Amino acid sequence: MLHNIDVISSNMAAPVNSVCKTSADRLQVNCTSFQKKTRSKLISIPGTRPSVQNGQLLVSTGVTSLDYLLGGGLAVGTVLLIEEDRFDSYSRMILKYFLAEGVVCRHELFVATAQDNPDEILQELPAPILDDVAVPKPVEQPRLTGEPQDILDAMKIAWRYQNLPKVQSALASSSRFGHYYDVSKTMEVEIRQAAKCHRFYLPDHITPSSAAHRVESYSALLKSLQEVIHREGFDLATPMSKSRNILRVGLHSLGSALWGDDLCCHDKPRHSHALTTFLYGLRALLRSSLSVAVVTLPSHLIQDRALMGNITRLCDNAIALESFKGSERETNPLYKDYHGLLYVRQVPHLNCLARQLPDHKDLAFKLKRKQFTIERLHLPPDLSETVSRVSRGEPVGVASACGSSASGTKNLDF
Amino acid sequence: MLSELLQGIESGGFLIIRGKLIHILCFDVSEEELKDGLKPSDTQRLHIHNAYSDPLGWTGHPNFTVQQFSLEDLTNLVKQTSQPKPAVLVIDSLSWILRHKTPPAVCQTLQQLRKGGAVRAVIGLLHTDMHQRGTVGSVCHLATSLISVAPGVKGKEAVARVTKRSKSGKVMQDEEIFCIAEDFTVTILSKPSHAEHKTNSTEEEQTDPTANLTFNLRLSDSELEAKQKLTLPFVFSKEKKTALLHPGPGSGRILYEPDANDDYDQEDPDDDLDV
Repeated sequence: MLHNIDVISSNMAAPVNSVCKTSADRLQVNCTSFQKKTRSKLISIPGTRPSVQNGQLLVSTGVTSLDYLLGGGLAVGTVLLIEEDRFDSYSRMILKYFLAEGVVCRHELFVATAQDNPDEILQELPAPILDDVAVPKPVEQPRLTGEPQDILDAMKIAWRYQNLPKVQSALASSSRFGHYYDVSKTMEVEIRQAAKCHRFYLPDHITPSSAAHRVESYSALLKSLQEVIHREGFDLATPMSKSRNILRVGLHSLGSALWGDDLCCHDKPRHSHALTTFLYGLRALLRSSLSVAVVTLPSHLIQDRALMGNITRLCDNAIALESFKGSERETNPLYKDYHGLLYVRQVPHLNCLARQLPDHKDLAFKLKRKQFTIERLHLPPDLSETVSRVSRGEPVGVASACGSSASGTKNLDF
Repeated sequence: MLSELLQGIESGGFLIIRGKLIHILCFDVSEEELKDGLKPSDTQRLHIHNAYSDPLGWTGHPNFTVQQFSLEDLTNLVKQTSQPKPAVLVIDSLSWILRHKTPPAVCQTLQQLRKGGAVRAVIGLLHTDMHQRGTVGSVCHLATSLISVAPGVKGKEAVARVTKRSKSGKVMQDEEIFCIAEDFTVTILSKPSHAEHKTNSTEEEQTDPTANLTFNLRLSDSELEAKQKLTLPFVFSKEKKTALLHPGPGSGRILYEPDANDDYDQEDPDDDLDV
């Protein structure tokens, strides 16, 4: 019903959506049917759409669940900070998704690394799934035990709840923005080479033996980025003669020892302002140009939490990944469906007073072949010993849902 | 996994070296101490660079100083033997180098060694208790394989925790107990006994709460049958359940007949008074 009303109202209002058509979908976020009635002040760039909340131009990060968490997408002119997981597998994957989305939307790319050559990252980009009709299948709902699907007799006591909808744990908005990628294949060379890519590999720019290496590496990066933005016309100073495009900036593993910075090495780094000054300059550069940046940072190596807080505040969006690989959580049956936890550390408020925080704080991610899903982590109710669904091999440190520690209640039976 | 690593790299710290060309950079121990106990056939394949005697260059003519720990000098050192195949470089103690050079510089040199073609593999020994956690973390972050050694439960054994990162991003982890014999052969024993602890806890008897009571909480068979035959209130038949779940059109009618109180006259609100 609401769907019909939406269609009627948008036909009568000024045609906002015809300006920025990427996929031909209607602009629908599942919480509001509000359509802005402005004429097209927004520049029409492929791969972007205006945000419903504050009218910012959004680009997709390549991961649709992450777009939903960030309020529809990544706003142009902002920085997304990803705190890396311990072995840098999933944060690198998200960076690759971001760059692959740029290739598919025909944006330009700028990749800066200190460890591996940027070409190596570009060669590992996942292949896009090019049938636009593909809709992800709804996530398998968790089922309560002892409740087969369509039999009324099965629910003896709670049968009035039979027809209520199951809990939706996957995060998705109703309109699709962004593409899906197949992780098992790499992007074809022709598609990748069609996109223009600027590279910055630190050993090429800095002779490592120089004493002022540490300060120079970040300033060299900033200068190179500024030069690219000016030369290619991404800054808004140049007149609007030619068509506009977005520059996607991917900075890998900033702050690690290979950038010459001792943030990760010492408990009290001596030159902690180097990275923070760089981030400040980066944000200023991005705000005045049509660019968007994703920065990954090995935050698990940084011992100074105040510094980490500074860095988080200097970036607009910030998420942290924690993978279960190698930690004791890997064997925890609670987490067996997922590959790690995701924390949203910061969401910006751009040109408005309120932030759009996600309503769920417990998020877990799973890297499937065709999708990187981020879901709400459901803790199952803690049932008594005789009706246990979860095996009793849990480590003692895990806090279970109802507040009672599982292994401690062995002799207590009410 | 430990044995695979040992064969793949063909050396393991001070242990027996089965293989081609090994260069050892000794900071912590002297050359004689290192060679002690190794067979002469093996020592021929080793090229030991003595950085133990004068690492900081206090005498006029040092052999190898810590300042020479950089890409060019190390490449020259390794290329001295003029073999076509790239060698394996064993660094006796990264801890020693980290005390005299900054960690970022050491990390950069290690990364350059890995990217340059002169050395096939670099094996470094790091004493984790000598450095800050960030330093250890940064150096370990660079490594593709990490072996953490700790003393084991019994005397001669040690526990090795091996983490291996492959190019595709896969991470494999393993934990093994090993012991080193007199002739430096490494024998890998069983996996550690974490599994034992877990089975101990689950083997405890489930205590029966209905035992040892002064009153009877158990049910006899006839009582069990009677319990199962009991019909609970609010348990409806299937037809009634479907009727309640899917309400039909006529099921919610309200029948009302207006009574005397509903004659409310708007103009005269005091109509109902008996005055």
